[in-house]
Amino acid sequence: MAPKPTQKAQSPIQSLWKAYNEETSDRLKFIDSFLLFLMLSGIVQFLYCILVTNYPFNAFLSGFSSTVGQFVLTASLRSQVNPDNQAEFKEVSPERAFADFALGSIVLHFFVYNFLG
Amino acid sequence: MAKGKLKNEPHLFLAQPIKTKQDAITLTWKVKAMGTQVNTITPGRRKAFASTSVYAKSSTGDSVLVIVEPKKQDDYNMFYEGLRERGFEVTFRAPRAETPLLVEDDVPNFSHVIIFASETKSFAKDITPQSLVSLLNQNTNLLIALSTKQTQLTSLASEFSLSPAPPGTPLISYFPAHSESPSVIPIPAPSSNLISTSKAPIWYSGTSFALSNNPLIVPILNAPPHAFASEVDGGSADSLVDATEKGGEGLWAGSSLGLVTGFQTRNGARIVWAGGVEMFSDEFAQKEVAPGKPSGNKQFAQDVAAWAFQESNVLRIDHISHHQVNETEPREQYTTKDQLVYTAHISKYNPQNGKWNPYSDITDLQLSFTMLDPHVRTALPAVGPSSPGDYTVQFRAPDRHGVFKFVVDWKRKGWTYLFSSTTVPVVPPRHDGYPRFLSAAWPYYIGAISTSVAFFLFSTIWLAGEIKERKKGKGKTE
Repeated sequence: MAPKPTQKAQSPIQSLWKAYNEETSDRLKFIDSFLLFLMLSGIVQFLYCILVTNYPFNAFLSGFSSTVGQFVLTASLRSQVNPDNQAEFKEVSPERAFADFALGSIVLHFFVYNFLG
Repeated sequence: MAKGKLKNEPHLFLAQPIKTKQDAITLTWKVKAMGTQVNTITPGRRKAFASTSVYAKSSTGDSVLVIVEPKKQDDYNMFYEGLRERGFEVTFRAPRAETPLLVEDDVPNFSHVIIFASETKSFAKDITPQSLVSLLNQNTNLLIALSTKQTQLTSLASEFSLSPAPPGTPLISYFPAHSESPSVIPIPAPSSNLISTSKAPIWYSGTSFALSNNPLIVPILNAPPHAFASEVDGGSADSLVDATEKGGEGLWAGSSLGLVTGFQTRNGARIVWAGGVEMFSDEFAQKEVAPGKPSGNKQFAQDVAAWAFQESNVLRIDHISHHQVNETEPREQYTTKDQLVYTAHISKYNPQNGKWNPYSDITDLQLSFTMLDPHVRTALPAVGPSSPGDYTVQFRAPDRHGVFKFVVDWKRKGWTYLFSSTTVPVVPPRHDGYPRFLSAAWPYYIGAISTSVAFFLFSTIWLAGEIKERKKGKGKTE
């Protein structure tokens, strides 16, 4: 009886992972890996800022906000190209979504490099 | 017609005096402007412009008015002679005489005024305590001798933070034993930078003052420790006994009593209060302190006059300069955290030849870099023999922008006050003035670059992969 709860506790995560692996399309998985990279990069910069130095602060702000901004843009791309959300974004085609994403990202990087110092 | 004439004539008549008066006023204005132009408010300098006579032995002019009772005028001939030898023009005036006036058209007629009329009760209309104070305001120097008698000048002394001893109580000392009256005292010459080093004692007879702690007071000669103020004949012993019974209360005694006391006003004018006029007399100058040993009175009187008339201990800041390190010209504005170099050139008046010589002997000069409060206060040391008279310091401008002032403010007893204030703006760095590509910022640079590179790769793969996906999708639907 004892191992059962642990099995049960692990099983939702395992089943989630399994479901994710099986049901998510490669495209979305590719987006997710990009999101993961952005998240890790942002965390590393934030830790460096609070543990080592926040000087120059503008460099931190631009470096950190580039990851955050890119994350937000990529997340919205993900929700727009997800076939499950097709009902919500009827008039937004995946091509249109990608064009929005690319334009937004280019503008974001323009600001980031201006502010980087 | 007659009316018109009446109107016109006074106007024409007045034209001449008004013109001269205005001339006088514009002259003083010009002189003042010259003083402030270089940001140095050094009164000695201002006056030096006003009187550029070659023969002037004082830094502020060489005309002296002596106000003295005509019958006592000849008692001080050696003192006048000493002044004349040093290049002063001495003019005499009786206390009640109407001329020469102290001030005419708001401009002082004399550079220095001596009042030896120590016992005179009433003076001419223009010699009042108020007019003497206004003379000081116009940078005229005064030498005033008092006596044990109460006059209006005695009460003026208390305006200079000196409290004269009660009337009729001269300074008395029985030590060292001397044959004269105990109110005629030989006092050892003081050791101070105001008085040339003559060791001979000085004969003194007169009143004394208690000095307050006013910082503008410059004690020149103090009473000997065993001297006290009391009536000479009768009752002196009794009053002393009374005073000792009260623990010394009410007794004017000791070395903190001032006998000859200077006072330098904030604008640099000097006034000397002497408790006894006999100190300047020929009688005391010739009186021997010991057989064959002359007194120091003659030299002391000249030294006191030299200080009072701004001959000795007169300094000025000639010019100052400031620039960034490794540059020579001053900038219109400096940036926060710049390394700045400030230099002041100070010279001392030399009464021997009437010239200003570089002076490097100030050891406690300070420079403040001030915006309301001094943000930087640093020693301003003399450069040394390589450039005499220059005092220079290098310091870092604070990390604070605003309107700053370089302030040198040096006030020492017996010396001319030095003050110089120069305003400079300190601005933050321009947008491109900050340091770039700092090593500490590389994680952030890498973060931003990696995001861009990842975005680029993502887009490429996405566009490439989309075709694949579409094909897949087509295959699925087909």
